[in-house]
Amino acid sequence: MRDISRRQAIIGLGAFTLVLAGCGEDGTAPKAADTSANRAGAMANYGVGQQFKATEPISFDVLYNNHSFYPNKNDWLFWEELTKRTNVTLKPVEVPLSDYEQKRGLLVGSGQAPLIIPKTYPGQEDTFVSSGAILPVSDYLDLMPHFKDKVARWRMEPELNTRRQADGRFYLLPGMHESVWVDYTLAVRTDILEKLGLEVPATWDDLYTVLKAMKEEYPDQYPMTDRWGDPTPGGNLFKLVAQAYGTRGGWEYLHATWDPTAGKFAFTGAMPQYKQMIEYLHKLVQEKLIDPESFTQQDEQAKQKFTSGKSFVISTNAQSLINDYRGPLEKTVEGAKVAKIPVPMGPVGDYKIGTRLENGIMISSKAKDNPNFVAMMQFIDWLWYSDQGQEFAKWGVEGTTYTKDSAGAYKLADDIDMVGLNPGASKHLQKDFGFGNGVFAYGGTTKLLQSTFSEEELEFQNVMNARKQWPVDPPHPFTDEERERSTLWETPLKDHVTQNTLKFILGERDLAEWDAYVKELEAKNMTTYIDLVNAAADRFKKEHG
Amino acid sequence: MVKLDDSPGYRVFRWINAVILTGVVVVTLYPFVNIIARSFSEERYIVTGQVNLIPRGFNLSTYEVLMSDPMFWTNYRNTVVYTVVATAIAMVMTTCYAYVLSKRHLKGRTVLIWIAVFTMIFSGGLIPNYVLINSLGLTNSIWAIVLPNAISVFNLLVMKAFFENLPTELEEAAAIDGLGTYGILWRIVLPLSKAVIATMVLFYAVSFWNSWFTAFLYLHEQRLFPVTIYLRNLIAGATTSDSYGLAAGDVTQAASNIQSVAIMLTVLPILAVYPFVQRYFVSGVMLGAVKG
Repeated sequence: MRDISRRQAIIGLGAFTLVLAGCGEDGTAPKAADTSANRAGAMANYGVGQQFKATEPISFDVLYNNHSFYPNKNDWLFWEELTKRTNVTLKPVEVPLSDYEQKRGLLVGSGQAPLIIPKTYPGQEDTFVSSGAILPVSDYLDLMPHFKDKVARWRMEPELNTRRQADGRFYLLPGMHESVWVDYTLAVRTDILEKLGLEVPATWDDLYTVLKAMKEEYPDQYPMTDRWGDPTPGGNLFKLVAQAYGTRGGWEYLHATWDPTAGKFAFTGAMPQYKQMIEYLHKLVQEKLIDPESFTQQDEQAKQKFTSGKSFVISTNAQSLINDYRGPLEKTVEGAKVAKIPVPMGPVGDYKIGTRLENGIMISSKAKDNPNFVAMMQFIDWLWYSDQGQEFAKWGVEGTTYTKDSAGAYKLADDIDMVGLNPGASKHLQKDFGFGNGVFAYGGTTKLLQSTFSEEELEFQNVMNARKQWPVDPPHPFTDEERERSTLWETPLKDHVTQNTLKFILGERDLAEWDAYVKELEAKNMTTYIDLVNAAADRFKKEHG
Repeated sequence: MVKLDDSPGYRVFRWINAVILTGVVVVTLYPFVNIIARSFSEERYIVTGQVNLIPRGFNLSTYEVLMSDPMFWTNYRNTVVYTVVATAIAMVMTTCYAYVLSKRHLKGRTVLIWIAVFTMIFSGGLIPNYVLINSLGLTNSIWAIVLPNAISVFNLLVMKAFFENLPTELEEAAAIDGLGTYGILWRIVLPLSKAVIATMVLFYAVSFWNSWFTAFLYLHEQRLFPVTIYLRNLIAGATTSDSYGLAAGDVTQAASNIQSVAIMLTVLPILAVYPFVQRYFVSGVMLGAVKG
């Protein structure tokens, strides 16, 4: 008995100390963390619009996602010019793109990660938070004037809030777009539309009519076959149709979707809107308007069907339109024309739906003990978040790799190519100079984003940008314990939703069984899960909203 | 010996056997022949699915493109170096360990065997292993590739079983003639074990040639990578660039004919090793047959 009580006393004391420590931390809530000892190389007055240049030569390790299309070269003008402008030398730890995520997990998990960890997509940082290996960057935003400036001017707070953890901080410096950028949509054979006297479909109902007319003319073919079904079935198509009904599917599928009318989160896979999406796609399958293999086949097969003229509608983005479809089609089908159509609309109306957050940067927590910590934050702020830095990372050195006219239009040097802007040029901006590199160049102003777009793509963008922006869901960060519990439920739920979505659409399960399906989700803790989400959302609103 | 005519039933059996096995050969070879055909074809025929067994739009330009990439050759050289060094180290380590274990009079033999077998069942896991290799200062050097996998337990047990089957009388006779332990191993045992040694060399060489994961874990610079990582990045890079949400600069693919060429150049040398090692397999089979 004595032993136990002594042990209890020790545990009690320990808990008490922890509580005290916790209070202590809260008391000195590190709004502006103390960084006075880590200012070596930092600029004393660094502000918006200023060129960052370290006061002494310094260097940082950076995890480098090595792209197979433009593998790193140490003699790139990018590295040389970066050091010239900022006095900072980056030392890349080269990781093949194919397995970047695994190596990042390994390095962070073993405590050997480089200080700067770019190419981390929103949400991927969650798994690292509880380990303490990643810096809560939101405590150090005062060192990053350009980041703060863009957040304020572009009103990024709602998006940033979705990245906050239960402690109210965020651990990822996300890339940011000035405006939602929609790239993925459908490609349609416009020559077939012309031949049949059809308009470009503006809504999903129009698309149904168009497909039906195509089917009448070509009864032996499926007018539509789709790609991007592996590993996520119907990745792009489910996403787009779900958006049109005001829910989430495909690549975008999340268990919790905000229901503005009810003022709380609903379970996506059981929403009436989700059922509508299924009904629409089921109709297409039933009337043989879409190839039933569409949702799961390999991209290669889908591309073959489309480019050999066996189908006329397929998912696309700007790059695929040119490389995967138009090029091969021109050679195989006489007179074939293909174009990207504005994303068809549905009952929710003319919204453009997407996120303004891009992949971003995590910082190792050991960085804050580095004497050059402040300089590093200023450097990151300049390279990734200032207009100047973003322009440099994307276009290079003015007068050498590009020129800019008085209206601010960019033009690549004549002997340099990128994304087909100067076909046949002897050098390549990405391969030979290191600019336009996915590790450093992304996000930014719409103007910068569109500076490499073709006329045709700009037209698409203009149509899309005229639409309203879909509001961002409120944040609902889990605590560590909640995350553990929810992870146990998420996978079985997701599997069940995915399987049944496909079964309903393909007609393997009758839609009359929808209620039974919802009951099955119930048995897999759907309601407990969504209650957890709503409780987390309420708590966040109370504590940090 | 009288040669008997095959019974009709047996002849039918042989015919069926031949048909089935030919089918297996065709199925096994088809993907490989397809890759060969793709490597000589024009990209547009490949994407529209028109290339099967015979190249269409025959050209060698893809080979030229790939072979002109210095990084490909750097990585290729690394693969050769890693394979040779790692196989040499692995053979020395495995042979010594296996020879010791084959001696039944050795005290603590069971413990030594279990130490090896234990690693087949349990491992420290990825991160502890990484921390270990890193603390030993091996990361980002050839040693991280050639040392950690020096002994494959499976190969060790095969070799041990082989050594156990050698007649002890041979070794006793050698000992009487004045050879020490190492002399016996070097002059008597090893010359009699060519079959198993050839097999082990092949097993090790193939596995080191094909391996990419250890290199991926422990190396941080592409100039140190083996060609398998080059290849993997080329192929996987082409598929992941299709995934959703990548920044604009990333959406670029390696053409499928480049992939085919890279696969061809990577597998050819190791394929060429087989015929040379094969005669040892045959002699190995006979060696077993004569004994008794």
